Amino acid sequence: MAQQRMALWAAEADIEEDLQDVDLSLAIGNYGQNAYDDALIQPPQIDEATLIAVQQHMAQQAAFAQIPDVVKGFIVHFHQAVLENNLAEITVAYESGWNKYTEKFYAKTEWPEAEIIAPLVNDDPIFLILYRELYYRHVYSRLQPDIDDRFHSYENSCELFNYLLNSDGPVQLELPEQWLWDIIDEFIYQYQSFCTWRSKVKSKTDDELGLLAEAGPVWSSYSVLNVLYSLIQKSKINEYIVAQQQGKSAEEIAEIVGEYGSRPLYRMLGYFSVIGLLRVHVLLGDFTLALKVMENVELNQKSPFTRVTACHVATYYYVSFCYIMLRRYPDAVRTIVTILNFIMRMRQYHTRSYQYDQINKTGDRMYALFAMCHALSPSRLDDNIANIAKERFGDQYAKMARGGDEAIPAFEELFLYACPKFITANAPPYDNPAALSVLLSPGSPSPVTPAPSATQDPTHRLLALFLADVSANAQVPTLRSFLKLYTSLGASKLANFLDADEEEMVQEMMVMKQASRSVSRVGDSGRGLLDGQTISTSDLNFVIDENMVHITESTVGRRYAGWFIKNTERTQRLFDDLRKMPLPVPPAVDAATGASNGVSQASATTAAKPPRSGGAKVAWGGVKAA
Amino acid sequence: MAYEWTSPVTRPEQIEALVSGVDRYNPSNVGILEDYLYHQLRSGEYDCLANLAILKLYQFNADLYNPDIIINILIKSLASSPLPDFNLCTSLLEDRPPGASLDEPDPLPSLLPVIRGLHNLLYRCRFPAFWAIYRSEQLANLRDNYTVEISGFEDSIREVAVRAVKAAFTKISRERLATYVDLQGAELDAFIDKQRWTIDASGSNVEIPPNPDNQIEATVVQESIKLPQLTKIISLAAVKS
Repeated sequence: MAQQRMALWAAEADIEEDLQDVDLSLAIGNYGQNAYDDALIQPPQIDEATLIAVQQHMAQQAAFAQIPDVVKGFIVHFHQAVLENNLAEITVAYESGWNKYTEKFYAKTEWPEAEIIAPLVNDDPIFLILYRELYYRHVYSRLQPDIDDRFHSYENSCELFNYLLNSDGPVQLELPEQWLWDIIDEFIYQYQSFCTWRSKVKSKTDDELGLLAEAGPVWSSYSVLNVLYSLIQKSKINEYIVAQQQGKSAEEIAEIVGEYGSRPLYRMLGYFSVIGLLRVHVLLGDFTLALKVMENVELNQKSPFTRVTACHVATYYYVSFCYIMLRRYPDAVRTIVTILNFIMRMRQYHTRSYQYDQINKTGDRMYALFAMCHALSPSRLDDNIANIAKERFGDQYAKMARGGDEAIPAFEELFLYACPKFITANAPPYDNPAALSVLLSPGSPSPVTPAPSATQDPTHRLLALFLADVSANAQVPTLRSFLKLYTSLGASKLANFLDADEEEMVQEMMVMKQASRSVSRVGDSGRGLLDGQTISTSDLNFVIDENMVHITESTVGRRYAGWFIKNTERTQRLFDDLRKMPLPVPPAVDAATGASNGVSQASATTAAKPPRSGGAKVAWGGVKAA
Repeated sequence: MAYEWTSPVTRPEQIEALVSGVDRYNPSNVGILEDYLYHQLRSGEYDCLANLAILKLYQFNADLYNPDIIINILIKSLASSPLPDFNLCTSLLEDRPPGASLDEPDPLPSLLPVIRGLHNLLYRCRFPAFWAIYRSEQLANLRDNYTVEISGFEDSIREVAVRAVKAAFTKISRERLATYVDLQGAELDAFIDKQRWTIDASGSNVEIPPNPDNQIEATVVQESIKLPQLTKIISLAAVKS
């Protein structure tokens, strides 16, 4: 799937260039004349208001004139594609054109403001909203958004969602899935960015303080949740997913989800909003609710919703992080392994995608999460991923796995590296000058609180919770390594080895037992991501009989089957390939077919016997290409 | 266990609707959830998700802030160790900005570290230390104003110890157990009896009946081959023949 899509737009990007040159002369020709006429027709009698208007107009014209012609052409073309709901063209413009011209002309400056390019698109309000969406996203990702950008990008998001949700019935607009995901993703990113920026009281100018005091609902948690829940409810996405799981027919589903939910735009936005909620709740530190909103979503690779890779990866990242904070390390590991394997498999297709970097970064953070979980709850899951994780975070992993005091800084380092950017839901008291001045006064925390007041930063608050869990289990690896050496051992002797008090040591043993049990979604049978039952996670088991510790270890027998299966299949493939090769001095007929058919010769033979292993891949590839 | 955790059988329908629906964000519902918390305190029931819903409302609506409710929620969450309830609750507590005025002095800033300490002792199975600190003079405030109102609080903490002991021991000395559950003499005997544990012949040890966690057995995990793994090979064989 991914491969196909990629090939499509890579090929069309080149054609695009030619097309634009043609469009360009037409569009600009027209427009240039209009503008010129307008200027001439301006009436001579000028009062002050019109003077300002004219000046503004002239400034806009000057700005307009500075836009490179190819960019003007691009915008016209882009607008046309959106008007025609031409998904293929929109995708090319969105994924390829926009980035291309960003690199070329706007790597370090804003794109032209929407008002400036408005004449190019007949002041089409919907396109201008979409354009601003891109405009602000570019500001956030490449430049430093100022307070006006932050407020205006919020307003623009509101306008967009208002248009989608409160028009007369579902809107006819169609957008590529990737863009829809980016809209939701960016909306939450800007919210998170605003909250982080807002929490830094000391760096604000007086103007900013004034604006923030009256910010009201701008980027408030309630507004953001409101948007996401509205999209979820309007699209009936939860009902859709449940109906699908129950195997309802397409007609029945259409009946259930109604006029909004039947449209791909709303359905995808609904689904992405569920993932958005997951993310928002994680950012706010509500890990239970985050998983609860995902109740109906099945985590698997088959769902059509996995087509947008960035969304797929983000989902697994936030889910696995929730599991870590819920002390459900085996579930976290399983989630991480699934997605890291997925990232590895898709790597060959996505190297040129503009999201590739982002996905890789998330992937790297998940290797760090994996290393942490693996240290806290060692298991034999997936050696491949474990090896990569150990390779990348070898130092830290060794310390974490060894336990003890050195482990804590290693956990801290990886947690800070891999955790989401947490936010606080509430603004500092910008609307309360008295309280604000307390915050602003240099280095005097409020004298009322007796204890040194906890740091304001939510990340460190959650880090402290996690580290408390980690240090509670810090002795477990040491104990485990001792116990591995014995089948039974007196408690006092063990205490001696560890140079510890016997009673302390016995309590530590209970901690170890506790650490080897976890709630987990066994066999994916659960009704939601929060469900599960207690399982044993360790191969080392022990029990205390008064003062004697008895230890057993489960071992895994050697595994032959996988090796034999793999090699049988490989041999078969080799054998088939050999048989297909022309003989060194082939008869004339054979040579002719071989030369003319090339690859498809191989596919023809294998296609005749579809169940054959290995060859099947080639066969399907061949059919699609043809 | 976890399923019971996400939706306890004792949860009324009205609360279920609140916990699972969008209405959980409506500040005017906070009273219903708070009443439900007081019901939990009186009845000994426990519903973590409903209590988290209160804290969520507090997180979004600073003016609803009620330190007594928060303290009760935190104390209540102690007894579910080693489940992460206490952490999940504290994750939602944001620092309060200075100048947020209350009619009375806010008890939370001074009690939060105390409760956190108690949780830490429980999570680390330091049961004797837990009781010592819990009974100490410094915590009189916590006992007299809060835990005394929570029906069965001490027993619920003993349950934490019982869970840990059941998993790790087949036999434990009476003396050791006494320090874990903070009971002596006849009370301890009654407690042991209630758990359906037995005292062995010597009279100084308590036998813990077998359960899934205190049964140890050395096993060799053999690989099991499932049919789907072999489909390719079998179908090849079928085609060949």
